[in-house]
Amino acid sequence: MGRQKIPIAKIPKKNHLQVTFSKRRSGLFKKASELCTLCGVEIAILVFSPAEKVFSFGHPDVESILDRYLTRNHLPAPDQSGAQQLVDAHRNANVRDLNARLTQVLNQLEAEKKLGESLHQMRKASQKQFWWEAPINELGLHELEQLKVSMEELKKNVAKQTNKISSIAGASSTLYSSPALYGVNQYDHIGGSAGFFESKPTGFVNNIASTSTMPNHHVYNLGYGHGLF
Amino acid sequence: MARKKVNLAYITNDSVRKATFKKRKRGLLKKMRELSTLCSIQTCAIIYSPYHPEPEVWPSPLGVRSVIARFKSMPEAEQSIKMVNQESFLGQRITKAKDQLKKQQRESRELEMTQVMYKSLVGDQGLQNLGVEDLNDLGWLIEKTIEEIDERIKSLRE
Repeated sequence: MGRQKIPIAKIPKKNHLQVTFSKRRSGLFKKASELCTLCGVEIAILVFSPAEKVFSFGHPDVESILDRYLTRNHLPAPDQSGAQQLVDAHRNANVRDLNARLTQVLNQLEAEKKLGESLHQMRKASQKQFWWEAPINELGLHELEQLKVSMEELKKNVAKQTNKISSIAGASSTLYSSPALYGVNQYDHIGGSAGFFESKPTGFVNNIASTSTMPNHHVYNLGYGHGLF
Repeated sequence: MARKKVNLAYITNDSVRKATFKKRKRGLLKKMRELSTLCSIQTCAIIYSPYHPEPEVWPSPLGVRSVIARFKSMPEAEQSIKMVNQESFLGQRITKAKDQLKKQQRESRELEMTQVMYKSLVGDQGLQNLGVEDLNDLGWLIEKTIEEIDERIKSLRE
């Protein structure tokens, strides 16, 4: 978050002013909402925008607070009708639920961000260790061509495995559906019957894959020994 | 400033609640003052609390009256279009947070899948462990990576 110290005076640049208004107006309402929740107070806030539109926040609602203020009827009616009390109780329960739900989602978001951060760190570490994991833009032509060969092989194996699982599950379709991840276009199935070849594990790759406990190695012969460096 | 994570619920302890009210009200009014000055706009607040018999207002009774008058002079539709209460406001915040969560989950998933892809490349990950959805996403990622490689090869050859 940008924590610059800014003088409290009218912002000279129009764009900056508009962005500031947007963010601060939103933050103001958030603070007002929290005040109402935490302390059980009733409040109305009116804000005119630089474009002369009006934003308002009110609890229980803007209109009733304004009316109450204007008519100087500062005391909430002591003998509130049962119906009104019911409405209020219902609304308060709603707000309680919403706050709980918001808290839940915000917690999930925070956890997910932490996860993302640690995954990111892992990726960075891997990228330093293994040349083929580096960003594509940093690889040389020979490396790229090699990597492509390995990737194509992997692609075939993934297709083959998918077919295998699909047929076991009795699914008739061998077409990849839109990835759950990206929801983008269809990924066309290659036709994994072409048969992939298994290369023997080279010594190099075995060193790298030291964490593997899978007895079934499919190794894609990245050819460190081919004098890449 | 004490940066404790606050539980978004009514404070049941009376003295804590009163102290919180004082502090947060002061902070709120400060924010209003800043917003008003920085953006050169009109704003007002009316607060009813158990701690004051009269409502507390900002900037001043006259200022409030003037802002309310300006508000009321607008057509009804314009008054209500950006009007929120706790329920609608919280609803908006929840929606926004859920969208951010989905986006973050997608990013994590992609990072995870990238890891799986590279591990599979050196035989470090049995594809047998993956379900159909995983394989789908993996296939898509491989395809995308191959495309990137092709583009890069092409540009290097030029």
